[in-house]
Amino acid sequence: METKKNAIKSPLGKRLGNLLVHVFLAALAVVWIFPVVWIILISFRAEKGSYITTFIPKHFTFDNYIRLFTDRNILNFPQMVWNTFIIAVFTCIISTFFVLSVSYCTSRLRFKLRKPFMNMAMILGLFPGIMSMVAVYFILKALGLSEGAMIRVALVIVYSACSGMGFQIAKGFFDTIPKGIDEAAMVDGATQWDVFTKITIPLSKPIIVYTILTSFIGPWVDFIFAKVICRANAKYYTVAIGLWNMLDKEYINSWYTCFAAGAVIISIPIATLFLVMQKFYVDGMTGAVKG
Amino acid sequence: MKKKVLAMALATTMVATSFAGCGASSSNSGSNGDSKDITLTVWSPAEDQSKKEGNWLKKECEAFNKEHSEWNIKFKYGVCPEGEAKDKVTTDVDAAADVYMFANDNLSALVKANAIAKLGGKTLEQVKNQNDDLMLNTVTYKDSVYGVPFTANTWFMYYDKSVFSEDEAKSLDAMLAKDKVSFPLSNSWYIASAYVANGGTLFGDDQTDEKAGINFGGDNGTAVTNYLIDLSKNPNFQDDKDNSGQSAFCDGSVKAFFSGTWAYSDAKKALGDNLGITTPPTIKINGEDKQLKSFAGSKAIGVNPNSKHQEVAVALAAYLGSEKAQKDHFELRNIVPSDKNIDVSSDILSKAQAETIEKASIMQPMVDKMGNYWGPAQSMGEEILAGTVTKDNAADKTAKMNDAMNTDAVK
Amino acid sequence: MKSKNTLSNALRNGDYKTKLSMIIMGFGCMARKQIVKGIGILLIEIGFIYFLASSGIHNLMMLPSLGWRKQEEVWNEAKGIYEYTKGDMSILILLYGVATILLIVAFILFWMLQLKHAYKLQLLEEEGKNIPTLKQDFKSLLDKNLHVTLMSLPMLGILIFNIVPLLFMISMAFTNYSKENDHLILFDWVGLKNFARVLSLNGNIGRQFWHVAGWTIIWAILATFLNYFLGMILALIINRKGTHFKAFWRFCFVISIAVPQFVSLLIMRTLLQPQGAVNAILKTSGLINSPLPFMTDAMWARVTIIIINLWIGIPYTMLQVTGILQNIPSDLYEAAKIDGAGPVVIFFKITLPYMLFVTTPYLITTFTGNINNFNVIYLLTGGGPTYVGDTAGQSDLLITWLYKLTVDNKYYNIGAVIGILSFILLSIVSLVTYRNSQSYKNEEAFK
Repeated sequence: METKKNAIKSPLGKRLGNLLVHVFLAALAVVWIFPVVWIILISFRAEKGSYITTFIPKHFTFDNYIRLFTDRNILNFPQMVWNTFIIAVFTCIISTFFVLSVSYCTSRLRFKLRKPFMNMAMILGLFPGIMSMVAVYFILKALGLSEGAMIRVALVIVYSACSGMGFQIAKGFFDTIPKGIDEAAMVDGATQWDVFTKITIPLSKPIIVYTILTSFIGPWVDFIFAKVICRANAKYYTVAIGLWNMLDKEYINSWYTCFAAGAVIISIPIATLFLVMQKFYVDGMTGAVKG
Repeated sequence: MKKKVLAMALATTMVATSFAGCGASSSNSGSNGDSKDITLTVWSPAEDQSKKEGNWLKKECEAFNKEHSEWNIKFKYGVCPEGEAKDKVTTDVDAAADVYMFANDNLSALVKANAIAKLGGKTLEQVKNQNDDLMLNTVTYKDSVYGVPFTANTWFMYYDKSVFSEDEAKSLDAMLAKDKVSFPLSNSWYIASAYVANGGTLFGDDQTDEKAGINFGGDNGTAVTNYLIDLSKNPNFQDDKDNSGQSAFCDGSVKAFFSGTWAYSDAKKALGDNLGITTPPTIKINGEDKQLKSFAGSKAIGVNPNSKHQEVAVALAAYLGSEKAQKDHFELRNIVPSDKNIDVSSDILSKAQAETIEKASIMQPMVDKMGNYWGPAQSMGEEILAGTVTKDNAADKTAKMNDAMNTDAVK
Repeated sequence: MKSKNTLSNALRNGDYKTKLSMIIMGFGCMARKQIVKGIGILLIEIGFIYFLASSGIHNLMMLPSLGWRKQEEVWNEAKGIYEYTKGDMSILILLYGVATILLIVAFILFWMLQLKHAYKLQLLEEEGKNIPTLKQDFKSLLDKNLHVTLMSLPMLGILIFNIVPLLFMISMAFTNYSKENDHLILFDWVGLKNFARVLSLNGNIGRQFWHVAGWTIIWAILATFLNYFLGMILALIINRKGTHFKAFWRFCFVISIAVPQFVSLLIMRTLLQPQGAVNAILKTSGLINSPLPFMTDAMWARVTIIIINLWIGIPYTMLQVTGILQNIPSDLYEAAKIDGAGPVVIFFKITLPYMLFVTTPYLITTFTGNINNFNVIYLLTGGGPTYVGDTAGQSDLLITWLYKLTVDNKYYNIGAVIGILSFILLSIVSLVTYRNSQSYKNEEAFK
């Protein structure tokens, strides 16, 4: 942060400032990437076991990855990846729709229950979700979603049902889009729906990227709800349960390196998703809005 | 919504309750009446269903089906490691398996959740014939037997034979004087062994007297705490946190560690013929050698009381725990049988486990109050490691720990 | 007209078509050419009555007692087995009871709404205006009533999967649902007893409650604001004009989001143990003699958690902030520059106020999210170190403590009380902040 201030303070030394900024960013990036590199190194480590005293493995191997996809007897990893992928895609679609809908309504439309809803969403967010596990399971059971293939549906619902409460960020973003554009369009005969789909959404790419990314990640990382809802139905386990199980005392020693390999594998779709969507983070958004 | 179903279920329950009395007399024809198709759900750890390891569960279940021509059973399998039975089964007992496996320390939770059926009649006879008293006690809760044990569950010592002689392996202090040893000090399943070694008791002499409480305090307890403080400062001692002991043992930086049967295959792979397995060693307190005593328990097969085919389920549980099934289990997966009629003394792992249970263990108590033991014991281990328990306050902290072990978490 | 169309007016001035809607719901619609709508409303009424008759009334009747039938056990000599008949499950009775009450409330609201609607149609007819057709109704759902279309499903989701469990949890606090005296299957209402136990300073729960609550708040403040400001500064640095490879830098920081949080947390946990790699490397390089107590010393553990949380949280802040930063009207900047303001002044005079305006609600949600940040604490330190005699560890938050009390110790009632207390405390704090924030009071400020 020091470097940043320096850079700003001395307009003359702009070049020096730029250099410092880049050095600073590079240093910070190293810190950020270090644990990730560590995980990748573990995933290529030939020595088993969860504790290691050297940074670079003594021997490298691909076996950990191969084992994940071939040793399906105990933990069927490919199946888990597939389950999670399906769940994540649907969760992502539903959550994104929910979040954008609610944010648009609270930002642009004026209706009677708007402020009560916003207050309520704020308060409900304070409720510790963990306490609701048992209730959620029995509600899903009452809806007939606790057995067989319906477990996947149940998980999609669990991950997306309450996403409407996380509207604040997108609403804040929508608030910054000038209202004049909407009004101009409405004068031309556009309905609210047209404004929402044809004006607001195309202007909101960065925040949509953010929403898609976060809602896509959810199913890959949750192990608490997934465990309660899948129970003994190993066929519907998600990746997170699989990874979590690798740390059981019976498995940890021989599976720890595979655990890291699994983590690397599931990071790939998420990282790719971001790379693909990164292009929406273009500068000069405001210019576009004006024009 | 399925509320209707619930209402109907409740109604049926009421009807069923009123008919329960006559149920017994009219069920003579039961064995014939049951001959139709039956679906049973069975839960076991994933390894029992692994093709690579011979799919023990499927093999036994199908053999059982063949043996009983009067039933035509279709099996549904689910995955539930023994130690997780208390979570997975009790989440929703109704939807849980008809037959499942559990670690015996889950038993009181299972009984409290109405999730396990008592055994009687010839099944009980079988269990009594197969097991010695200790094993039988591990599946007994308030004088009733609830499971068919199939293997013992305890911890013992793995060591490197090229470093320690068999004699040295008998004393922790002798080992520490020579090379590195890893012990899970902050794990309450292990730390009890030291307090028990120096005369501490859990719920009386046979671990079943709930009123007797836990007795880890007093001068004896303080002496143990002092010993553990010294231990934690010994440069050759390493705390075994999150399985670090096994990792270190396999890569050679530690020469002995403590664990159960599950650690065997990896340890064997790493050390080969140098791998030694034996009972927990002794520790020297006030100049006397005291034997560390591990917690002994079992893994067993239980039956869901809500099973629609109680009779079949009980018969299957008995079959899965039978001598033959245990032998298969041992051959396919190296699961040491609990059946006293099976001779496995030729196997070093089985021998070490059997010896530990016989000489160097106490039964892991299953009384309800045992729930208060785990937290304070772990805190003690953590505090010793963090250095907040010192020789100066050892007596005080030991007394505090003992108090906490005898009080409910919520007063 | 809006003021005329109230419930009391409907009851007083409604004609027979409107008044009949009180009993035969949707009649007003059917009688006034909105046949499909009317039938729909009627079907809902029939469905509700069917539900009440089939299970709703039963659910309500069980609620006061929460069930009493124990599991019955009978020895069957012929088969040689114990046979069981199921008893009541208080937890299900409670859940279904809560859900039924909520359904009834929803139905009453619906009843009022349709009555008002019937009256509205009557008024329209009296004034000689057109009664909207089904097609027009549908059209308005995409325009004037778009909020109904867009909000219904999200609201339903929140209702079923957040509000019902919440009410369920709240009601648990008034029962003796705990392992104490065997009340895990069948439990009863006990009133406010549990609150007294938690709040009294003498009990071992009360003694720890304030301690844990204090640390929870300190943690939430530090975690939220450090993440927010550092994340914003990072985003500014990356977004500033002179910085090259913007996409690359963003990717570097985002990559830590891609690794599942519980994996990176568990890996860090092993890294930082006394025998972990960090200590091992420091030791072999001769920098330290004995391992640093990252997780074993209370103060160290707290600092470690906050720092690791920065690693997790800053990328998220950076992502959100980047989007919003790009939307700051550039004429604001240009005007400031013309006035001769330097970058620092611009930051404090334009960027920061703008960001605070837009993100106050977000800040509050992150704050509350941090209060309930289960993963970081549970996976890194497990709440430890715990002092002998405590149930709560030194780094336990209310939520992880609550988890220990319920899942490990089976005191669901006490857990619920702690949940409610922290809930009340937090709602007051956040509502007051939120309602006083500029973005709530003056939403149009930057438009």
